[in-house]
Amino acid sequence: MSCTEREKLFGYAQRLLEPREEHEVRAHLESCPTCRAAAEEYRKVDTLLEEWTPLEPSPSFDARVREAVEPSGASRSLLGLFGFPGLRWMAPALVTVLVVVAFVAVLHVRHGRRAAHAPAQASSMPAAPDAPSAPPTETMGGEEEVKLYQNLFMLEDYDLLAEFDLLSELPKGETKVDN
Amino acid sequence: MSSVIKNVASIAMDQDLDLMLRVRAGDSASFEELLRRYRVPLVSYFRRMLRDPALAEDLAQEAFLRVYKARARYRPDARFTTWLYRIATNLALNAIRDRKEISPAGGNESSDGEAELLPVVDSKPTVEQLLIESHRVWLIRDAIQALPENQRIAVILHKYQELDYGQIAKILGVSVSAVKSLFFRAYESLRVRLEPLLKGGLI
Repeated sequence: MSCTEREKLFGYAQRLLEPREEHEVRAHLESCPTCRAAAEEYRKVDTLLEEWTPLEPSPSFDARVREAVEPSGASRSLLGLFGFPGLRWMAPALVTVLVVVAFVAVLHVRHGRRAAHAPAQASSMPAAPDAPSAPPTETMGGEEEVKLYQNLFMLEDYDLLAEFDLLSELPKGETKVDN
Repeated sequence: MSSVIKNVASIAMDQDLDLMLRVRAGDSASFEELLRRYRVPLVSYFRRMLRDPALAEDLAQEAFLRVYKARARYRPDARFTTWLYRIATNLALNAIRDRKEISPAGGNESSDGEAELLPVVDSKPTVEQLLIESHRVWLIRDAIQALPENQRIAVILHKYQELDYGQIAKILGVSVSAVKSLFFRAYESLRVRLEPLLKGGLI
C-alpha cells in the first residue's frame, strides 16, 4: 500500500476491508505516521458526528399524520370508542349497512300500515276514488293519529281560536268542534 | 446463491416489512406501530437534510402519508427501510430543488448534478439556533448540510439512519462501490470542515 491510497485507508478506518487488505494497511500504518494520523482523524470524524443526536418531532406531529391519513377521523372515533381500533377500516361498510337496515325498516313499517289501511279506505269510498281522503277511523291507525287528523283544521286556525273568547268558557277536555 | 438465501433471511427477519404487509391487509394498528417506530428517525432525517425545521416536519408527514397511500402497491422485494427512505429521499430532493428554483443564487449545481462545496460556515448561527443546539452541534450540522446532495444523503443514511451501503445504493440508483466513494469523499470534506473541533482536542 502507498500513502496515496486514501480510499483504502478510509475503508480500513471504517472496517470495510477484506482481511487481506486490512492486513496490508495495518502493515503500512506501522511505518507511516502520516497515514496513521489520517486514519485516526477519520475515526474522530465518526465520533464527532454522533454528537448530532436524533431530533424529536413537535408534539402535534403524530396527530397531524393521523389527520392526513384519515381526514375525517369519524370512523376512528366511532369505532375507537367501542374499543375496536382494528375495525376502523370497516367503518364505511358498517355505516352503509346501518343506513340500508334503517331504510328497509322504515319501508317495512310504512308498507304494513298501508296494507292495514287499504280495506277500510276501499269500503268508505267505493264510488269516489278522486275525492279527498276521509278522516282516518280507529281501525285505520293509532288513536293519536286519528285525533290529529280530526283536529287538523282547528290546528291550522290555532292563532284565531286562541283569541276566541268563547273557547275559554268551554270546560277543560272538550276540544271537539262541530262543523 | 448464498447471497440470495441471506437476502431472503434478512427480509424474513424484517419486522417492519411484516408490519407493512399488515398495513396492506388493512390493519391500522400496524400503521400506528410504524408511525411510533419511525416518527423520530424520519423527522431527524428531514431535519438533517434541510435547514428548515417546519418544512422537515411537513415532509416527514408527507412521507408517512405516501407510505399509507401506497400500501396496496407495496411489494416486499426489499427491506422496508430501503423503501421508506427512498420515498423520503425523493421528497427531500424535490424540496431542495424547489427551493433552488425559487432562489437560484442559493444553489451551486455543477455539471454532474452535485452541488459544489459551499463555504465551511455560510452563515452565523442565530441566537435561536444556539438555544436549541450547542455550537459544536451547529458546526457539525453546517458541515454536513454543506456537502453535495449525494454525499450528504450517503452520510446521513449510513451514519444516522443506519442503512447499509447496499440499501443506499438502491436508494440513489448507483453501485455499492459508488456509495463507498461518495462516503469517502464526504469524510474527506468533513475532516477539513470540522478541523477546528478535531484539532481542538475536544473529541
